[in-house]
Parts: sequence; C-alpha cells; structure tokens
Amino acid sequence: MTQVAPKQNPSPDLPHEAYLTALASLDQVGPARMRWLLSFGSPQVVWQLLRAGKIRNPPAQLAVKPPQLTEWVAQANSADPQQIWSACCALGVGVVSLGSPGYPPALAADIDPPVVLFHLGNPDLLSSPSVAIVGTRRATGYGLRVAEELGAGLAEAGVMVVSGLALGIDAAAHFGALSVGESGAAVAAVVGSGLHAPCPVRNRKLASRVASSGVIFSEVPPEVSGAPWRFPVRNRILAALSDAVVVVESPGAGGSMHTVREALARDIPVLSVPGPIDSRASEGTNRLLSDGAEPCLGVDDVLMAIGLGGKQANASPPNPIPSQQDSRPIPDEAGERALATIGWRPVSVEHLAARSGLEFQQLASTLSWLETHGWIQRTGGWIERRARSDEPERLRGRPT
Amino acid sequence: MLAEVPSATLLGVEGHRVLVEVHVGQGLPGFTVVGLPDASCREARDRVRAAVLSSKLKWPDTRITVNLAPTHVRKVGSGLDLAIAMALLGASKQLNPEALKGLMFLGELGLNGTLRPILGILPLVDSLSAGRVVVPAENLAEARLVRPDARGVRTLTELVSALRAEEPWPDLPVRESTSGPAEVYCDLAEVQGHPVARRALEVAATGGHHVLMVGPPGSGKTMLAERLPGLLADLDPRGAMDVSRVHSAAGLLRVHNGLLTRPPFRSPHHTASLVALIGGGSTLLRPGEVSLASGGVLFLDELGEFPAAHLDALRQPLESGIIRVARANANVTLPARFILVAATNPCPCGVGQWGECRCTPGQIARYGRRLSSPLLDRFDIRLAVDPPEAAMVFAAQRSGESSMQVRARVERARMRAQERGVSSNRELRGEALEKFAPLSDQGRMLLRSRLETGSLSMRGAQRTRAVALTLRDLEGTGGPITTDDLEGALLLRGEEQQIGVLA
Repeated sequence: MTQVAPKQNPSPDLPHEAYLTALASLDQVGPARMRWLLSFGSPQVVWQLLRAGKIRNPPAQLAVKPPQLTEWVAQANSADPQQIWSACCALGVGVVSLGSPGYPPALAADIDPPVVLFHLGNPDLLSSPSVAIVGTRRATGYGLRVAEELGAGLAEAGVMVVSGLALGIDAAAHFGALSVGESGAAVAAVVGSGLHAPCPVRNRKLASRVASSGVIFSEVPPEVSGAPWRFPVRNRILAALSDAVVVVESPGAGGSMHTVREALARDIPVLSVPGPIDSRASEGTNRLLSDGAEPCLGVDDVLMAIGLGGKQANASPPNPIPSQQDSRPIPDEAGERALATIGWRPVSVEHLAARSGLEFQQLASTLSWLETHGWIQRTGGWIERRARSDEPERLRGRPT
Repeated sequence: MLAEVPSATLLGVEGHRVLVEVHVGQGLPGFTVVGLPDASCREARDRVRAAVLSSKLKWPDTRITVNLAPTHVRKVGSGLDLAIAMALLGASKQLNPEALKGLMFLGELGLNGTLRPILGILPLVDSLSAGRVVVPAENLAEARLVRPDARGVRTLTELVSALRAEEPWPDLPVRESTSGPAEVYCDLAEVQGHPVARRALEVAATGGHHVLMVGPPGSGKTMLAERLPGLLADLDPRGAMDVSRVHSAAGLLRVHNGLLTRPPFRSPHHTASLVALIGGGSTLLRPGEVSLASGGVLFLDELGEFPAAHLDALRQPLESGIIRVARANANVTLPARFILVAATNPCPCGVGQWGECRCTPGQIARYGRRLSSPLLDRFDIRLAVDPPEAAMVFAAQRSGESSMQVRARVERARMRAQERGVSSNRELRGEALEKFAPLSDQGRMLLRSRLETGSLSMRGAQRTRAVALTLRDLEGTGGPITTDDLEGALLLRGEEQQIGVLA
C-alpha cells in the first residue's frame, strides 16, 4: 500500500490542475467526492495521501464503500499525474481550476462551483447575457422548431445560448444559434461526459462546430466517458452559467426539470414554452407554467426576462400565426381542405386522405403544391403544417 | 445380363435425365449402386430388394451392379427406386427387355412393393424426352400436366403384369389432390378506409414495384399485403409452368385444374433460416421461399426482425429475378422474380404515433439501421399505414372496388409494360426509362425542383419516374409523364426516411 515508486515522485513543475485532473479521473468521482478529497489538503498532497492509503473514513452521505476506496488507492498508484496532464494538454483541452485567473466569474460566484473545469474552444467568449435552452431528447417537431427559432433569435440579439449538446431540444437550440453565424453571439455548451468522449456520439460534428465558434465546458476529464449520473450533475453548471433558463419541451420528470430546480435554487428566472395539453412532451413545461413559471411565447419574452429591452417597435405579438407578412400564395379550395384536416398536429397521409375525402390524384397534387409553397412539410411519413414560410426547415436528417 | 432404363433426378427445380444401368453377372452375390448416389439414393438397394421379393419376383443370387449415368451428376432421393427395379428385372430376364423399350420410370418403392409418390414430378417428367413415363398413381395427375400419356401404377406387381402383357395397363382415374380447396384470395372490397394504400397496391400490382409498409401493430399491414396477389393478373402459360415446377419441387403442388395459374403468396416468418428463405440445403437444393414466391408476392412481416444476412441475401434476387445456389458439388439457378412487400413497425415500441412513442432517438436510430439502405432503396412505394379510425370501421360499410375490378385495370395496364419488352415497369432503368417515360416540361421542372431542395435523390427521381409511368399506364392514355403522375408517384414514394418518427 505504501510503496511509492521513485520515478513517480511529483515533478515540482507540475501545476496543481494536473493533480486535480488526476483526482477527477478516478473512478466514480464527482464534485461532492472531489470536495471531500480536497478537504485533506492541496491536490498534490491529496494525491500523495491517496497513494499512501491514508485517506479514510468518507462521510456517510458520499456513500463511498471500502472497495471503492481501495480501488482509488490502486488507481492512484498505477496512474501518473504527469502522463494524465500531458495527455490532457496534447488533446488541446484547456483546464482551469477554481480560483485561477481564467475561471469563469459566473461560476466562481456559484453556490456549488466545479473545482476544475475543462474546456474546448475559447472560454473568453463566455459573455453575459446568456440563456440556457433545455428540453427533452424526445422532442416533437414543434419543440425542435421552437428550440431552433429561440436559439437563432437569441444569438441574433447578442445573447449567448447555452445548452447541453444532447439530442432533441439541446441540439436544435445549438443548431439555431449556430445558424446565425458570425453576426450572432457565441454559443456555449456544458456536457456531462469528457470532452473527447462525446455523448451522444451522433452530435460529435455539432460539438466541434460549437467548439469552433464558442466554448464547451465539462468538469469531467477529457477521456472519461459520460455515466448517467454525470448528466444531472452538470445541469447545475448549465444553470449557473445562464441568466435565464428556457424549457422548451419536457415530460413531467426529466433532466430539464432538474435544470429548472438548479436554476430556482440560484434565483435564475425560468421560462417555459407552452405546448398542447395532451402532448406528453409538453407535460412538464405546461406544469411549470401552471406553477408560475414565466411563459415563453417568443424570443422577446426571453429578452424581457433578462432585462434586455422590451417588445420591438411594431409591437406585434411574438411569432404571430399566421403571420401578417405571409408571402405564401393562398391555397385553393382543396388545399384549404387539406390544411384544415391536417390541423396543427402531424398526421399521416392515410389519415389525411380518409378525413379530407380528397381523391388520390387530387390529394397528391394538393400536397405537392402545399409542400412546394411552404405550407406543409413531410417527415418520416408524417405531414405537418408549417406556421410560416420563413420558418427554418425542421431538423430532418440533421447533420450529426 | 445388362439392361438400361431412363429416369430422372431432381436438382433445384430442374429435372436431370439419368440412365439407370443394371448389370447382373457372375460373381459373389452382392448389390452395389455406383454413380454418385447420395445416402437416400443408396438406400434404394434395400428398398428395391425387399420390394422385388415381396412382389413374388426372383432376386438374382449373383453380382448386381447398378450404375447411374451420367456419373458426375449427384443423384438425390428415392425417385430412382422404380427404375432400378425395372432395369434389374430386365437384366435378370424376368422381364422381356423389349417390353421396357420406350418407357421411363419414376417413383419410390415401399418394402411391400407399393409405389410411393415423389417430389418434383413436374420438372422430372418435363426433363424426360421421347417415350412414355410411368409414375406412381398418386403422382399421375401432376405428371399428366406435362405428359398427357403418362401412366400411373400402384404396385410393382401391377406394373410387372402389365409389362408381361398378363394384364392390361391399369386404367387409373386421375386423382386430383383433395387436400384443401383452391387458394382463396382475400378481396380488396373488404378493406375499410386506407384510400392511399389501396391505390398503392394497385400500382404495385401493375408495375411490380416493391412495397414497404410502415405502421403500428394492428394498422392493417398484413391485411393489405394479403390482398396484393388478388390484384395480379393470372400467370401466362410459361409463368404458370415455372411456378408449378417450383411448387412441385418443393412438394407443394396441389393439382386441381392443371397448372397453377394464380400468383403465389408467401409470407415466411422472420425466424426462417437462410436456406429456407433462399433455397439450398446440402443434398436436394430445395427451392426457398423466394423461389416459391416467384411470379407472385413475397411478404416479409416485421422486416426489421429478419437477420441482416437474410435481408442482404435478398438483394441478388431483387436485382436479377433469379437466385444462384452453389454448393461444393452442385450449382443450381432458381427463379426468384417476386414483388416484395415488407412491413415494419416505425420504431421498437411500435406505437409510432407522434408524441406517444416511448423510444429514445438512439433506439429508433438503431432500429432503422437494421435495414441496410441498399435494401430500402429497392422499395419504390413506401406507405405509412395508420390504423383506421374507429368511427370509420363501424360506419356504414362503404365498400370500395373489389379485387376483380382493380385486377381488370391492372391487366390492361400491364399489357402496356409488356409491350416495352420488360415484364414490369420496375425493371426499367436509365436509358429505357428515358425512352419509355419521357417527361413533360412541367414534370421535368417538378423533379428538378425536388432534386434542388434535396427532398429527392437522383436514384429517387429515377424510381419516381418509373412509378409515374405505372400511374400513366393505369390512366391508359399514353403520352409523356405529367406532373399529376409524378405527384402521385411522389406521394407513394413517401419519405426517404420512413422508419422512425422524431417523437
């Protein structure tokens, strides 16, 4: 237990972030366990104590079992902080620790700041104001659309969009914010897995886009893969980095609700996008509204919530449906009939045919016309009515 | 001392002529069969000996050698029993060799001398040229489909007495198979709702386009698929022969009024083995489900549950209409020209309703990945099938057109396709499509705009054109492809990404 290999003697020039990274790389170490470990001294001291097996008696609430402690000792004795550190540097991942100059001020003032923070991209872009857009991974077309529009609208207004790089709402918000390009605000993400172990893998390309025009944070060392417990834990960083949290779609219980709780604990305003009352994906957001959350009917509501100017001069309601400036040609009678049958929820072609009573040929021509002129869009056998012609294409076949 | 009798053996769905030579000569008593017989064929020794003795005939106590020529062709099964027995009787002078002249024998012997039916009588008899074929009584109806002069016998004794001219040839009534009535096709008129699906089936039947149906359980995918064969035209004489041969080789031919004339419908379960699906086996090289469906419809329910290897094995037959089964010592080509109708759930939970689905995007992506895109590409028609609404099911039974009405239209339209030199529009590719499916100016514009917006791939545009041509054929007026046709085809083609809902 106490054998210390001489070659592993601490190099004097190793920064203390190196030891923090090594500690964070230990199996099953999250922020709470990290805080306990650091109560024994500086990271370097803790590392040595751990190797010597002198760290004992974890508090009960951390639920560290003896075998876990033994495992840590073994890991500490086999791992070399020097190696971990140079690997981390080689990957181009930036590391800041609480108290160091580059540490984001928004987090430094937080009630539960991460001790060490890894980042890809430029952390200096992290600017106030910023808004977190969160929601379910199993989003409906409506949710994806709203998230993308909010992302784009906020980025355009100079607000940094923060999200979690998950599938569904998160990805849609990122896509929306990125779609604005150079003229918009930077984009930020907080992920629950290591920066070089992206999770989900499908969003890898999106992650590199976010890193190149913004910043991605993680409190997990770069190559540690994301365990399920790490995702709720990262939600507190997401909330702490934001001036407001917008929930686009969420079932009654889920990660987004966790982010909401973290936001409420920090007195950060929470906005919720209303949805159909019979849609499972809007169960949580509608519940939030009935519990008193601010309704989010458009970008303006979010801007108001973070104190950025009021309604725009034209004072039109946000995202009027249908918009007065609708440039689409008026559909003929069959088109009207089809649109009325479609309503505002996705329907199948079969359903539409049976309900509208249109003959096959007429239906085919009508749908083709409506699609060409931006009245409807098709996704995986479903037909959805589009509210406005300028509305961004839904994230079908999303680049991943 | 020596006698020869022609017979045939089955390989795949082809009969191969086999000359059975028997030599009875000096030497220690013994009985050997040479000439590449398989195990079941070599067992003929014991069956023939017992049958000869049971029929009160003499077994020569000398050396007996049976040769099955040509010796490089593998002989499978018990169908050569009768020919061996007859050649043996001729060689041992119990029968006048003259009496055997011009006769060919097929059939399995029982130990008591009765004749048992064998598989594949139709291709076997078909492979035998000039001469009269003698078959077991139970195979007579099938043999007479190709050889009206075929003779049927019940026992070895009966056959020997007829050959010795002691008794007349038995005048057997042609016993038609009584197992099960003629195939009953479900009628399209019974389908409630599903207006788009009805049209899709009609188009599939006309153009031979493969159909993919995506929908939750209970939405009527199977019901619709079962009605497709009823819309297909009767098989032409050559097609009927081909289909009947395959069914005969698989032992599934039920003879009623001649050859099978209705297109077959096969729906193998997803646990079917690769050999059961594709055909093969180590000895007989039996036709598989794809061959049995040839000329008709192959329905694969729960497409995603089929192992990937099985689905990818379908790609050759889908492309070329045949399947080559090769084994170390045999190599056969089986027909496999069918309309593939596949059904699948939209996602693992099967609900697929917007907002009701409980699957994670990852699960849906994995589910969709089970179907390789080369396979999905083969489907010209992709239908999202919805369960009909309860209100419509119990509403006044507004029955649509019956299968017969639709079939009449299909037959007329299919004639047009055949004038183009292909059996169906599905087979039109590249230049042929350019030639037979010219686009109207507006049609060209429509396709171009779809290509530009990326909602259609190049291949998708070609396939859309083929389906549009089928719609044109159904219209019956000729002329270039109009936007109406293309719009209809686009509606039937659906989305490239049909499986999985983003909900």
